[in-house]
Amino acid sequence: MSRSTATATRPQLALQSYLDGLLQDAAVELEQELADSGLDDFEAAVLEEQIRDAQVAPRAEAPPLALVQPVEEVIVAPVAEAPPAVVVAPIAMPPLVEPLADVHRPTPQLAAVLADGRPDWAEEPFECLLFDVAGLTLAVPLVCLGSIYPLAGQDLTPLFGQPDWFLGILPSQSGNLKVLDTARWVMPDRYRDDFRQGLQYVISVQGYEWGLAVHQVSRSIRLNPDEIKWRSQRAQRPWLAGTVIEHMCALLDVAALAELIASGATKRMHNGQIH
Amino acid sequence: MKKSSAQGAEDPILQWVTFRLDNESYGINVMQVQEVLRYTEIAPVPGAPSYVLGIINLRGNVVTVIDTRQRFGLDSAEVTDNTRIVIIEADKQVVGIMVDSVAEVVYLRQSEVETAPNVGNDESAKFIQGVCNKNGELLILVELDKMMTEEEWSELESI
Repeated sequence: MSRSTATATRPQLALQSYLDGLLQDAAVELEQELADSGLDDFEAAVLEEQIRDAQVAPRAEAPPLALVQPVEEVIVAPVAEAPPAVVVAPIAMPPLVEPLADVHRPTPQLAAVLADGRPDWAEEPFECLLFDVAGLTLAVPLVCLGSIYPLAGQDLTPLFGQPDWFLGILPSQSGNLKVLDTARWVMPDRYRDDFRQGLQYVISVQGYEWGLAVHQVSRSIRLNPDEIKWRSQRAQRPWLAGTVIEHMCALLDVAALAELIASGATKRMHNGQIH
Repeated sequence: MKKSSAQGAEDPILQWVTFRLDNESYGINVMQVQEVLRYTEIAPVPGAPSYVLGIINLRGNVVTVIDTRQRFGLDSAEVTDNTRIVIIEADKQVVGIMVDSVAEVVYLRQSEVETAPNVGNDESAKFIQGVCNKNGELLILVELDKMMTEEEWSELESI
């Protein structure tokens, strides 16, 4: 995807601002804990320090975003002979999109959430896939993912009367995939129409007929649950599981997002927020 | 024979007339289609709703022609040699819908039809009955009766 230089620096600002918002949420939660906990002076002081750290951290210079790698370096499951990207000829277009990679894991459709906000798939260290959406790096646990489909040469079939975030239907080997505009969900306040340009992949959500349209797929990483600032309060943005500080990216609970859509709760959406 | 009858009853085959709008394929129940006409001069009706293109004379009968593109939220387009007016019966009325072209009649099993996503509040989404993959293409099945509201159907009667 080609982006101007100005656009390439703006994502860092957008990322910082976005993570600021998340960490401020965390600070509010800590303050509330402090007020309600009835802790002694020492414990209260420790929590105050944590609050201060949370407020200070975003002001530090953000490390540069990891350069995205071509998808050929991404393959997390052993797909030694991955099918080639679908080649679209002007006339002879193959009817169904083959996945570039299958990342199947047996998993319940909606994971239980533990007391501290982490889903039950995060009880132990877990693998994540990093991908890029309009310059923002996001992480998704592999247990929640289905397959990765290329969009190159493919046209999504739009359906009239659908919300803006619904891009269309992508016929695939595993059925018709409903594709959503990931950028509209994760950055509704900063969304621009040109974010629709350059979408290259659709990452399907395991167990659902929904897929996330993304600009780039990067690499897989292994995360320790302790490296993540989990969101214990998910009334707003329930699909946002937490923040990975070390990698400066947000961790998505895509199963929660797909469940939100599948349940029809999105009809109560306004400006990307569920009311 | 009994087994196949039972299977047929459980998974009926339905026939759909397919047409094109803006490079997408749509299907309507063949039972609702009366005939397909080549494009003919449409006489505009002053004061008619915006979704009405006008009226045509069909063997002495006045038939109201609906702007299907407008109903489907699409931009208007030029009339071509392939443009057709499909005469349909919906909500107990006979109306015409103008389409870019009419393709063929396809046979679909009920099991082949997937429900459309139900994620929006837009009224127009309600008349998408489902989607189906056919001949390498995605077919959007439309429920004509829901193409307009009760009030709009009543309004058409008075044109």
